[in-house]
Amino acid sequence: MMKMKGLALAAGLMAGLMGTTALAEAVTAAPGQEVNAVLLPKFLGILPFDQANRGAQEAAAELGSTGKLEFIGPTPENSAAGQIEMLTTATTQKQHVVMLSNNAGDQIAATAEAAQAAGTKVVTWDSPIPNGAGESFFVAQVDFGSIGTVMADMAYDLAGGAGEFAVLSASPDAANQNAWIEAMKGALAGEKYKDLKLVDVVYGNDQSEESYNRALGLVDKYPDLKVIMAPTTVGIVAAAKAMQDEGLCEKVKVSGLGLPAEMVSYSLNGCAPQFALWSFVDLGYLTYHASYALVTGAIKGEVGEEFTAGRMGSFKIEEDPGRPGAKRVLMGPFTIYTKDNVEAAAN
Amino acid sequence: MIGWLRSWEGGLLVVFLATLALNVSFAPEFLTVQNQINLFQLSVEKIIVALVMTLIIINAEIDLSVASVMGLAAVVFAYLLNQGWGGGSAALACLLVGLVAGLFNAVLVAKVGIPSLVVTLAMMIGYRGFSRVIVQDTSLGNFPDWVTDLGQKGLIGPLPLSLVLFFVLLVALGVLLHRTGFGRQVVVIGTNADVARFSGVDVGRVKATLFVMSALISAVAGVLYAARLGSVRGDSALGFELDIITMVLLGGVSIFGGKGSMVGVFLAILIILNLRNGMALMNITGHVQTGVIGSLLILSVLLPNLVGDLRTRRARA
Repeated sequence: MMKMKGLALAAGLMAGLMGTTALAEAVTAAPGQEVNAVLLPKFLGILPFDQANRGAQEAAAELGSTGKLEFIGPTPENSAAGQIEMLTTATTQKQHVVMLSNNAGDQIAATAEAAQAAGTKVVTWDSPIPNGAGESFFVAQVDFGSIGTVMADMAYDLAGGAGEFAVLSASPDAANQNAWIEAMKGALAGEKYKDLKLVDVVYGNDQSEESYNRALGLVDKYPDLKVIMAPTTVGIVAAAKAMQDEGLCEKVKVSGLGLPAEMVSYSLNGCAPQFALWSFVDLGYLTYHASYALVTGAIKGEVGEEFTAGRMGSFKIEEDPGRPGAKRVLMGPFTIYTKDNVEAAAN
Repeated sequence: MIGWLRSWEGGLLVVFLATLALNVSFAPEFLTVQNQINLFQLSVEKIIVALVMTLIIINAEIDLSVASVMGLAAVVFAYLLNQGWGGGSAALACLLVGLVAGLFNAVLVAKVGIPSLVVTLAMMIGYRGFSRVIVQDTSLGNFPDWVTDLGQKGLIGPLPLSLVLFFVLLVALGVLLHRTGFGRQVVVIGTNADVARFSGVDVGRVKATLFVMSALISAVAGVLYAARLGSVRGDSALGFELDIITMVLLGGVSIFGGKGSMVGVFLAILIILNLRNGMALMNITGHVQTGVIGSLLILSVLLPNLVGDLRTRRARA
């Protein structure tokens, strides 16, 4: 009898131990479950979001979800109101999860909280909800602080260590853009960058024509401008094209975050000798894996939990250093593209 | 004339019922109470302003500044709350903003005699400029909970304050337009301002009243918009005037004035909101939604003319 008890006790202990170790190790969600998901980008019609969708679809196929994965989004000019409307609709449809690249700032927080209360999870990617309310967690492409340093370094290199530069951003309420610009300002305070002067931040709202005109406006306003830093894939192409069209590439260099496929010619002709980005396909892929694990209960969305994401390995949920109280999953890293590696990446 | 109006609204009713039938059969979640509330609430500020725009257009005027007044009121409301003002006094201050904006439009249109298209176009740009100056390129939020609750949660059962206000205004403005002397004056002036003047109608006073009403209601809508979203930006409510005018014109109100009914506009509102909601529930993206509603408006402009043409040809033959 005693032996039996001892055995049972040992087994219990073992199970308990395994339970605790399992918590610390990456969990893998069982495939083939029903997860109805919506991938909601800032708006439709630009390449990075299509790539993210490709990644998400790849993950959905791999996990064999028996639910649906919808890729829907508003038009660029109706982005904020459109996202709120679509998140509301997704809640009505009782979708399991909405994967949101937020373009509505804190304006969407109330809707996201309502969604969570009704049982629809909200996982953000690419651009979070700034105050973190209503969000399960944020799948961050790269560490937002390190983007600031990379942008400051690229501006430093292209300006030759001294001179004026300006930022051409997307929309004033894009949380990711604002966080990166703030991080860059922080980096610029360093001794190395003391001769580098950030003269202006303008917004092209991720519309090609508006961004193009804003870039030209910057050149007019600041005759000594050396670099335009555009942390948006739409803005950087528009700015590079503007400088090329006006024959200004010798004088004003363009840099920022761009897609190799869209930037290859500007990179080779010297208008945009250096820019950076991460893989949006991977971001979509990881976001879907994380959302699937959350919906199926494999993870609860708490700090310290670890999960596997197929071909990308395992990831951990952690405190978001940029947003107190909010949680993130960090993807990283990113690549700096120059004329030496851009062609290979563009294909 | 009355027969024509009747047939236009009859047509709207048919389109509305068709939309409803489509939604019910293809979107299982459509009939839930929460969805019916969402359907209105997601556009409630626009449809509130559309009610007063109906009177303005029937009066053969236009108010392009409504969305900028909404935006300005929303921004002022958010700004004052952030300065530590109470919600009530901040809302009152916004009404004052609306009143001043309305008086400005009223004086320039009714007393100075500048066409409302020009006056309100200028104000549309001007008021938008003020909003952008106040908030710059950021957003203003952090409202007290009771403000956002009032904007987002049910007041009477599941009906939020904004929706209650919409239905109250629908009835009140409907009665004002169709059942009072003032309403008759609005229509008469819209049909022919000179005739109205000669028959002793105080044209200036009627027009001035309408523009003040329009700006006041727009300011209220702006405050509701701020409360619903919980934060505002310089471009809040940007471009809403076009959606609002679209609803009114689809409702059968003549852009030349003198013709139109509140029932028609209400039906047009129902059609547009139900179409949008249904398409959203069927996972149709924003671009297509805009396209469908655009086509509907084109049809609504073309059809009356085509029908009119046919009738004249038949009459000749």
